[in-house]
Amino acid sequence: MEPSITTTRSRRLRNSFSALALFACFFSVTALAKQTEEEKAAKAAAAQEKLLQVFVSEPYLELATGPGRGYAVFHVVPREQSIDVLYRRTDWFKVRDEQGVEGWARARDMRRTKLADGSPFVFNLGDRAGFTSHDWELGIGGGDYGGANLISAYGAWSLTDNMKVEITLSQFLGNSSNGYKAEAGILHVIVPEWRVSPILELGTGVVNTQPRATIVLPEDRTDQTAYAGVGIRAYLTRRFFLRADYRWHTLFTSRDDNQELEEWKVAIACFF
Amino acid sequence: MESRNRLLLLASAVAATLLLSGCASLRWPWGKDKQIEEQQTEAEAAEEEAEEQDVSPPRVIEPNVARRKIKTPKIDNENWEVGVGLGFMTIEDFGTNVTYAGQLTYHVTEDFFFRADLGQSTAGKTSFETLGGNIELLTGDERRFTYYSLSLGYNFLPGEVYLGRNLAMNSGFYLLGGIGSVDFAGDNRLTVNLGAGYRVLPTDWLAIHIGVQDRVFDSDLLGETKVTNNIETLLSATVFF
Repeated sequence: MEPSITTTRSRRLRNSFSALALFACFFSVTALAKQTEEEKAAKAAAAQEKLLQVFVSEPYLELATGPGRGYAVFHVVPREQSIDVLYRRTDWFKVRDEQGVEGWARARDMRRTKLADGSPFVFNLGDRAGFTSHDWELGIGGGDYGGANLISAYGAWSLTDNMKVEITLSQFLGNSSNGYKAEAGILHVIVPEWRVSPILELGTGVVNTQPRATIVLPEDRTDQTAYAGVGIRAYLTRRFFLRADYRWHTLFTSRDDNQELEEWKVAIACFF
Repeated sequence: MESRNRLLLLASAVAATLLLSGCASLRWPWGKDKQIEEQQTEAEAAEEEAEEQDVSPPRVIEPNVARRKIKTPKIDNENWEVGVGLGFMTIEDFGTNVTYAGQLTYHVTEDFFFRADLGQSTAGKTSFETLGGNIELLTGDERRFTYYSLSLGYNFLPGEVYLGRNLAMNSGFYLLGGIGSVDFAGDNRLTVNLGAGYRVLPTDWLAIHIGVQDRVFDSDLLGETKVTNNIETLLSATVFF
């Protein structure tokens, strides 16, 4: 059978198609090579930085442009793909996917990713469980110290869920004297599982008192102090809790009598 | 006669057969030990058999390879932000002067943060001093205005800013409130600070802030006690770590 014009044409077309396909193929191969090089580079960088690698086990993982509410989701990482965890800021993780795209993933989504051995990716979250058991506490507050206004900041480190070591730095501003104090003590949370739990405190420190110019004792003095206290701590939300305490201070002055002082304060604190 | 003998023989043979067969069923003292031994060996064999049956199911090849422990690298937490700033401090009655400040922030959640500020400025002259000639209300040291504050901040309006067509930066407008103190004119005063700020992040670790805070305290420097408002305007750069 004689080939018709159309077939000839189609053959031509086929030829051009095959050429195009070949070109596309070549192009995609080079693109692929480029991509794999990029991937290799990303992997090498990850290996060098010793980053944690996790795998997406949900249908997809959303990446946002910023670590906070409202930031746009600009990329999704599909299931089974790996991501490198670069760092964490509050409840967001900065991650990099296999293509080298970097973005912020929400902590509650990251909870559903898996490690290389298939086990879930576990990390601490700011919730009630974290309130019961955590390493660090940080708080700022105000109150009254022997009739003077008190501004204080404290940091505590947990030995156990019940027992913590704390350091408190404060300044007091009164009518007769101003001063600073630094105290170190032990804090006992009686029932750490409770939303509101009583606490007991015991500690010691130094007080630097600067009497105000118009009052009789003009010189600055530094005395040792010891205190015992009671208080409560109450979980608010996320990583925040409220702490209120009352301390009895004994000031070991250079005078004949020790001075008894009372202190109460309320602080807003966070745990991490 | 013959038949009698034959009968005797037969009878004895039958008796012998009966007797001998009965011997086996009888327990003779000389055969006791042997029997016990036999029983023991039988029991042992049974035990061995039982043991063999017990052992046989877990006879699986136990892998000699230790399970690989995956070491998870520690994730870097970047919740702290530290920086320095330069700006103006308007001290009520004492004019506006340059202020230098440092700030330390801990981001607790995406919305809230704790911030500590420490700054120093120098008070100028009151209008009374300027107009009155040689009158000096305060000495040089007393004019130093040193302040700090501990605040709680709220990221009120997080968002993005667009610089040109191809550049987007994260930004945020935040509100601040806290307490602190000021050392001014030879006295320490409790301050309450309220303010707001705007931060732009050119990269994830660098932030540029523009902030205004009002530091309020009671002052009796000019005769009567009054509430003074002292406005601090600050441009600062901070880094996350």
